[in-house]
Amino acid sequence: MRLLRQTRLLLVAELRQELRSLEVVISSAFFAVVMLALFALSLGALSPSAQLSAIPGALWLSVAFVGALTLTRVFDRERESDTLRALLIAPVDRLAIYLAKAALALLVVLISTLVLVPGLCVIFPAAAPIVERPLLSAAMVVLGCVGYVAVGTLFAAGLAQGGGKNVLLSLILHPLTTPVLMFNLVATRALLERHPGTGEYLGRMAALDVLLLAVAAWLFEPVLVGGAPRRAPGDDARIAAARARARGGRP
Amino acid sequence: MNELTPPPTPAAGAPASDEYAPAIGFAAKDVEQVRIYEAKAEQKVARDYQHIVWAYGVLWALFAAYGIFLWRRSARLRADMDALRRALDARA
Amino acid sequence: MKRALPYVLLVAAAAIYPYAVARVFLDTPIERQMGTAFKIFFFHVPMGWLCMLMALICGVAAAVELRRRSQTAAAVALAAAELGFVCGLGVLLTGPIWGNATWGKPWTGDARQVSTALLWLVIAAYLVVRHYGPSSNRRLAAALAIFGAIDVPVIYQAVKWWKTQHPTTEVVGSLPPALWASLWPALGAIALTVFGLLGIRIRQLLLADALDEGWARQSDLAAAKEVRHE
Repeated sequence: MRLLRQTRLLLVAELRQELRSLEVVISSAFFAVVMLALFALSLGALSPSAQLSAIPGALWLSVAFVGALTLTRVFDRERESDTLRALLIAPVDRLAIYLAKAALALLVVLISTLVLVPGLCVIFPAAAPIVERPLLSAAMVVLGCVGYVAVGTLFAAGLAQGGGKNVLLSLILHPLTTPVLMFNLVATRALLERHPGTGEYLGRMAALDVLLLAVAAWLFEPVLVGGAPRRAPGDDARIAAARARARGGRP
Repeated sequence: MNELTPPPTPAAGAPASDEYAPAIGFAAKDVEQVRIYEAKAEQKVARDYQHIVWAYGVLWALFAAYGIFLWRRSARLRADMDALRRALDARA
Repeated sequence: MKRALPYVLLVAAAAIYPYAVARVFLDTPIERQMGTAFKIFFFHVPMGWLCMLMALICGVAAAVELRRRSQTAAAVALAAAELGFVCGLGVLLTGPIWGNATWGKPWTGDARQVSTALLWLVIAAYLVVRHYGPSSNRRLAAALAIFGAIDVPVIYQAVKWWKTQHPTTEVVGSLPPALWASLWPALGAIALTVFGLLGIRIRQLLLADALDEGWARQSDLAAAKEVRHE
């Protein structure tokens, strides 16, 4: 209960900050529009049968790119003034921090899919089954986004911590989330083909979501807090300098 | 011999007689040709050395490359260790 | 004894290789449908198993590294990831060669092919983070490795769910005994090689850590001496 209360408080704080500028929501939704325009231009002329195999890819690739952008933006705020460290020192459950951040990112990604999915339905006539079964489609989109965000929040948070030089989030996020996206692709294809086993696919997506959420929540604290590093940050440079001095004789 | 489907047999109701009936079947030349093709295909599958040489070559080249990487790395470590020893001796 | 162990493994592997290759080529009957190209199987499949095993070892070692911050576990994880990378590359290159011979095309987009490629990408991402990220990213890399290890069973399930034309696991299970007898020496030879290289690499990484420590100590000493001279 304490966890839920803390999560809610943190999420409300995040939302309040977001509502002030709408920075993340607007940039993500606008990026979704850009993706839509690109898909309309590149794939809009496909025949209906080819559209059937293009729509799932278009949908989940857009979600992947929008999601990576959202996660980067959500944690950029913390990175700019190193507030994540302050948050980690504060007397809150670390799990609550993870859940609040994941909920915020999920909310933003879902808002972008509100632009994305209707847009795809307009561009591709073959997406009619999505309109016919709105509840099932909504469930599918939510389940797919939950798995993506569950993994993404952990890694975006980890990257937000180290100052200075860093590895691109997309570089590590996309190989890791491809299993989720593959599950989503199969389920979306089944939905579009009016496959009777669509419900079963959704069940599998939910199971994968639970697994990924559990592992990411379990890893969040060790990855972000994990105790002081064995070596101080400046040590690497000091060691390199000592090596260079020895190689060049006496300085 | 899937390539040559036998032509339809003469109608069963045809009266058997010792009249002249045209011989229906494969020309000896065609049969020969098909046999040659089949033998060639069998040879190709049974002695497909090209793929095997590539596959085994790739595998062992990979391990060799990793081995060379390890060897060079260990040479560098040894040089580093010598440098450290010299630096410590010089300061002592 | 412990120092020599990797080299003993490598020597044993070198002794088994000729036997394994001779068994595969001289004593194993040629498979009826796939022909000689089937001989690729005997080294392709063990490489695939070892790639998965290395991903698992890397994940477990990374979990230990996260819990105990052990230098040895960090070295094991990195070494296992590197060997998983090599084995994965071997599987991904020999697979299309075999596929080209038997299916007529190198890449069929089959579930297991795709998922092996994905596992390999995760390993590659781990190596990128370990080598090019700042050292504060070590724990993040460990999390990546753990997710990679979780991907292995998901990959295995994926084959069962999306039936495709890849020879399924049941085919391997129902292999005639003569073929199994040829698979074991090949598996043994490759496993010994991989574990020997793993041992050597782990020792190298630990030595590199110790050397870093030594240089840090040396620079401390030098600084202290300069202070005394002034």
